[in-house]
Amino acid sequence: MANKRAKQKSKYTLDRGIPGAFEGETVTRRRFMTGAAHSAGAVAAAAFTLPALGFAVGPIFKQERHSWEDIGPLEAFSENNYIPVVVTINPGVGEVGKTTAYVRKRNPAIDTDRYDSTTPYIAISTRCAHVGCPVRWIDAAERFVCPCHGGVYDLLGRRVSGPPVRPLDRFPTRVRAGRVQLYTGRFSVNSELRRFSPRDPGEPLDGIGQYLYPSRPSARIP
Amino acid sequence: MARRPAPPLPSALKAPPPRPGEGNGPLSPVEQAKEAGITVVDWVDERTSLSGAARWLMFRKVPKGTNWYYTLGSATLFAFLSQAVTGVFLAMFYRPDAAGGAYESIRHITDDVFLGQFVRGMHLWGASVMVVLVFLHMGRTFLFGAYKYPRELNWVIGVVLLILTMVMALTGYLLPFDQRAYWATIVANNITATGPLVGPYLGDFLRSGPEFTATTLSRFYAIHMLLVPGAIAALIGAHLYLVTKLGTTAPPWSKVDRRPELSETEV
Amino acid sequence: MNRVEKEQYLRDYSVLKAQGKPFFPYAVAKDGAMACVVLAVIITLSLVLGAGQGPKANPTTTSYVPRPDWYFFFLFELLRVVKPSSLTQLATIGVPTIGMILLFLLPFYDRGPERRPERRPIAMLTFVVVVAAMALLTYKGAHAGDPTTIGMATPPRIVRTGGATLAEYEAGKAVVAQSGCLACHKIGENGNDGPGPNLTHVAARLPVLAVARTLVNPTAPMPSFKNLPPNKFKAAVAFLSQLK
Repeated sequence: MANKRAKQKSKYTLDRGIPGAFEGETVTRRRFMTGAAHSAGAVAAAAFTLPALGFAVGPIFKQERHSWEDIGPLEAFSENNYIPVVVTINPGVGEVGKTTAYVRKRNPAIDTDRYDSTTPYIAISTRCAHVGCPVRWIDAAERFVCPCHGGVYDLLGRRVSGPPVRPLDRFPTRVRAGRVQLYTGRFSVNSELRRFSPRDPGEPLDGIGQYLYPSRPSARIP
Repeated sequence: MARRPAPPLPSALKAPPPRPGEGNGPLSPVEQAKEAGITVVDWVDERTSLSGAARWLMFRKVPKGTNWYYTLGSATLFAFLSQAVTGVFLAMFYRPDAAGGAYESIRHITDDVFLGQFVRGMHLWGASVMVVLVFLHMGRTFLFGAYKYPRELNWVIGVVLLILTMVMALTGYLLPFDQRAYWATIVANNITATGPLVGPYLGDFLRSGPEFTATTLSRFYAIHMLLVPGAIAALIGAHLYLVTKLGTTAPPWSKVDRRPELSETEV
Repeated sequence: MNRVEKEQYLRDYSVLKAQGKPFFPYAVAKDGAMACVVLAVIITLSLVLGAGQGPKANPTTTSYVPRPDWYFFFLFELLRVVKPSSLTQLATIGVPTIGMILLFLLPFYDRGPERRPERRPIAMLTFVVVVAAMALLTYKGAHAGDPTTIGMATPPRIVRTGGATLAEYEAGKAVVAQSGCLACHKIGENGNDGPGPNLTHVAARLPVLAVARTLVNPTAPMPSFKNLPPNKFKAAVAFLSQLK
């Protein structure tokens, strides 16, 4: 027993019967080399992984640039019907950077919400708030209808039926020199039409929703 | 062939009798080629010892009762190889340019390139065939109880392969950049973004920004032709290694003959 | 499986394996034949169906009806059938994620030693239910209609009558389809089943005048269609009153 303890205490790996031991190697030396092997490997792996990952993740933190875009004269839009306008929300990719917004003049009789009072024109995004299919305005029924999964919205873009989780997104508008201008950065609204920074479709904003689906650094409220 | 008698020639013209160790005269070209082949294989084997691995892989026994249902796995592998090869050739013509180049290059492949539509068709329909086969293979594994001990890990690898196959099928149909491709990508991306807490960031990561941008298509292209195929190839390697090591399952109805002289294990 | 069962399995398996044939060439020949069949199928599909290309990607569209490739129809239909918006996340992320986790963990919760399908009733029942559900969802997903067209065939009695009745029926069908009725009503195979009632047999319940009155003066949330031009309104009423 005493002999065994002495064996345990020896600083030579050979004495302690450690696998792969060889003549003259001490435990401290082995421990140092083990640490060196692990850390050198980790440094080398991190040296290519971290930059590549940062490179791929970078766009998450880059804020999109937006601008005001002219969409037509004041008379082009009425109070009761939507007119589709095509705007470029993402310059530099040609056709793919464009989107359609449905625009109508603000009607104080129906747009009673206080959040709307600063908006002279109501501009509704065509991205369905379910998973982003292109909705269409059907004038006869006064409904936005999604062709994919059965989402239906009313005149204000609020959900009437189907799976959408919040009203349709909107764009800020303003009037300059007799022309209507639309800001290409959209914002999201909850079922009370309160404004939030833009969320992806399918992310509810009522109740706990706004915390479960936090706003992103890349898209802020305009 | 009957041997004819040698002509009566003077001894100086006669071919010398074979020396010991020379065998039976010069080898025929066919035999020479065979010898050369054997030499090359020997040379490689002496330096790699691969013949043992080849024997282990090819001459292992498959259990009694192995039937046609057991070909579904290799059929899936074959569909993957077909996808890989046709995909490489399509990549030679494809341009991941969202501003119009992608759609135009696919149109070019389909309409102008020699056999272009055929190869693109093989890739397109090969995807459907591979999806069907991968599901059939999984169904077979489930019905035969082949996921049970000791093959649990291989089932897990198989499920990863199934999901990666579906990822390939999805990222693949963005690339032609027609309407179906575009909207399917938007929807798939938004579905990813509906995961609580991390979803929004994951969506931004896949799309490379809050909206569809020029880089989105390149990202999906890189995922489709580098990242996922690499992972699939590596996992197929692991899957096959485990299949070979553990052996393919016997059909669950096989009757085991428990006579003692049969139960000695063979490799 | 406990240790005894595991050892028993390994013993039985080694017997079956020892009685088997070598992988090469017996199994490889079958694999090779199957590979030829697979390639023949792929080539045939490619030659017969070719490789089409749809219209160019256009994010500004308000008329395109997006549909996935056939192998995602079951997920697509899952999104359609889950109507309450409070359950949307369940359909987009929840069910697929749970399905994947259950699939991953299958060998860890199904640990019984029995491998014969006829003696694994729960597993087989699950298998049948899952396959049937996926097949049904795929079928329904493949037949999901556009919200502004009605695919219903004109009934033979109207085709036989012909003339003005047929013309008005067809015109009315177009008006109803284009007026967004399908957003809330189901007509034949098209449209959303709810919140409005199914209109496939509406004329059996409502007389012509009631149909017209409802269109002008509906119960909320249905909007009034009194602003339709008179001829379109008349056609729509004519069409709806033929839905028996």
